[in-house]
Order: sequence, then structure tokens, then C-alpha cells
Amino acid sequence: MLKKRLVGVVTVKNGWAVQSFGYRRYLPLGKPECIVENLCRWGADEIIVQVIDRDTDNSGPDFQLLTKLAELGLETPLIYGGGIRTIEEGVKVIQSGADRLSLDALLHDNLTIVYDLADKLGRQALIAVMPMSFSADELLWLDYRNKVSIPVTSDLLRAFTDRVVSEVLLVDWKNEGVPSSFDVSFVEKFPSVDLPLIAFGGISEHQQMFDLFRRPSISAVAIGNFLNYREHTIQKFKEALVNMSVRSPVYASSHND
Amino acid sequence: MSSSTVVAVVDYGMGNLASVTHSLRSLGYRVRVSNEIEVLNSANLLVLPGVGAFPAAMQSLYANDLVTYLQKQASQGQAIIGICLGMQLLANASYEHGYTEGLGIIPGEFVQFPDSRCHIGWNTLECSREDALLQESNGQPFYFNHSFMFSGADQYIRCISYNSGPFPAVIHNDRVIGLQFHPEKSQTAGKVLLKNVISGLLHA
Repeated sequence: MLKKRLVGVVTVKNGWAVQSFGYRRYLPLGKPECIVENLCRWGADEIIVQVIDRDTDNSGPDFQLLTKLAELGLETPLIYGGGIRTIEEGVKVIQSGADRLSLDALLHDNLTIVYDLADKLGRQALIAVMPMSFSADELLWLDYRNKVSIPVTSDLLRAFTDRVVSEVLLVDWKNEGVPSSFDVSFVEKFPSVDLPLIAFGGISEHQQMFDLFRRPSISAVAIGNFLNYREHTIQKFKEALVNMSVRSPVYASSHND
Repeated sequence: MSSSTVVAVVDYGMGNLASVTHSLRSLGYRVRVSNEIEVLNSANLLVLPGVGAFPAAMQSLYANDLVTYLQKQASQGQAIIGICLGMQLLANASYEHGYTEGLGIIPGEFVQFPDSRCHIGWNTLECSREDALLQESNGQPFYFNHSFMFSGADQYIRCISYNSGPFPAVIHNDRVIGLQFHPEKSQTAGKVLLKNVISGLLHA
């Protein structure tokens, strides 16, 4: 059967991998390609590289970084997000070494291009990134460029119903970087669009992962900052989740033979 | 054998060629990436990769004058591996975004999963027939990313996986094999399978 996934997230700002806290405070970690290489070596099930300043300054995808990542010869699926504005850019990102695209700003700006990307690349290549918060009981969707949160639009919900994307990266952005803080009510209250959800933001403990993986709507858990505080974190999480439907941990001796 | 074996990755403008190229080189093969028939002719084996939608991929194959070439190569016994979308292109047709004819190298069609959902992530192979190329990979996990599945005669199906139900994961006809998953993105299990499949096809 299909396994639930542990996805490593690498956030890039000004060319550097950073720790991100609540979408507003950043601490440098190092070269993104080194972090990505480690996640591949530790046996992450997928790796998301999100370049967060490419939509803000409208500078397009970071092809220089994609070239460096392609040169690593990654054996782990790579998802890229940041700066994708057109079909041509989306296709070029895939040709530059990514396997899938994560789309955030484009969901706010131009859903027609999202539909067109699905036609060209297949919906399985597209992930919608949805940074969410609550105001009272209302679920709000953040445009991280201007820090404005709005209710999820009917157009976007229609696109989800049309399945123009394959999965939703559901981000508890206010709790990003805060240990053990992911609010599971986002999963419960996210509009029922029959798309698998990837939970992200404040997931640091295997017990949280265990609780999330028990939910049928969750296809994966994504982890960012908390993978960088010690080595081989992916393997350790997987060892703790041995009874869940996750792929067995991969160790360097078997990975590099 | 590896160092003298030339593998050509068919470049028709769809997908991530870097990973499959790197994976093949790491296994010791000499790799050419091209859409030029002269270069493809120099190879012992062709790899047809692909990330994208079926109609757009067929359009790209036509635009690169590769449809008739690939059909002819298969009929003449050239070893060919189709990966993910590349596997789907080997079939007669797909219903993705309407009906589109494929290369017709392995009889069958690609249809949507019964629940219309994508199948994304790591899943294990269950080899349903005796096949020396795949025995070592039976029960191993591989990375899948697709929304359509093969529908065709059992005689072409070598391995299955389970989503909402069983679906073909490896199809095989003469010296042509289709892999619905990405061996180049499946870490050690993928490299083992790729090496066995290439070796087996070249000795077939």
C-alpha cells in the first residue's frame, strides 16, 4: 500500500537556507544544496525547496539554485516552489531538475495559469501551498507577500474540486518553527475538497506525526527547522513511526551502495 | 559490461532529465541525451523519461519526429525503457484530457484511477509473474507520481502495486519495459532495479 511520507522542507531566502519562524523571522542555516544533500542521504521521502523571496520581488524561479541541485544527482524526489509566474517557467523548473512544483503566490494571482500548468505537466506535478490561520472560528488564507489573510476564495475551492492540483500543503504558519505546536484543527476544518493534505508548521515530535498519519486525509507530514537540530533526524522519526504506514528508514550504508 | 554500454535518454522536451542521466551514469553506463536520431541509433538501449501530461508529451514526440522512429526501433528489437509518463507513451492511448493515441508499442490504454485520485508517494512492488529482471525488486518500495493507470492484457503486466485497488506498475513486451514509478528517484531500490532491468534487456 501507499506509504505516508516524511517530507523535508528547505526554506531559502537571499540565496541561503534559513530557519523560518512564523513567516517573519529568519536565521541562516547554510548553503541550501548542503541541506538538501543531507536530507537525500538521510532518506527523506520527498524534499521541498521553497525560495521565499522570489515571489516577493517578482524575480522568477531560482534557476541557479536548481542547477546546483541538479548537479547533486538527487535520488529523492524534489519539489520546488518560488517565483513561478508562467507556464514556461513552470515547465523550465521541471526541466531544470524538479519533479513537482509547489504553488503559492500563483494561487492568489492567476488560477488560469494553474489550470494551464495542470494541462501541460499533469496535476500530479502540482501542490497548492496554503498558509492558514484562524480568526475566531473563521479559516483564513495568507498571502505571505503582503501579510494579508483572507477567506479561501470560491474560485480556488472550485479549482480544488476540479483537481487541478494533486495535494495541498496545509501550513500552520503562525506556529511555524514553534516545537510541537501544529494545530490539528486546520486539518479538521479545511474545506472538504477530497485532496490529500500535507501538514506543515510546528511539527517536531513523532507523536504529532503519529496522530496526523492516523487521519485518512493526511498523505504526508512536512518538517523544516526541526530536521536541522541534530543529524539523521529523518531516520530517527521513521524508527519511532515503525508501526505506521511509512517507508522504512534508509541508512547511508544501504543508500550509497 | 556497464562501461561500454551506451544508454540514450530520449530528449523530447518533457521532464527532468538530470536525475535519470545522473542515475544511469552512477551505474557506470555511458549516457547520451538527445533527440537526434543519429545519436539515438548509437545506443544499446533507449530510455524514454517524462514528467507531464500525455497529450502534451505526444505533441512533443511528434514535433521532434520521434513517433515513427520509436515505433520502428521497438519493432526491430531495440531495448527500450519507459519511465512514468514514458511508460504511458508506450501504450496505444490515454484518456488524460481526452483521448490521445500513443506509440502503440505495448498494447493497452491508460485510464484514470477508479477514485480519480492521483497516486503519489512510495509504494511496494508485487511481481505477479516470473521475471528474472524484477525478482530482486519484489517487495521493494519505489516512488510513484501519476494519475492514470495501465489497462491491458495480463500477459504484459509483470508487477503490480496497490492504491485503491491493484494496478499495473511494470509492463513488458519483448525488449520493451515500462516502469510506472521513478527508479531514478527511488534511492537504492531504484538503482538496483534499473541495473537489473538494463542488464536483463540487453541480454534478452
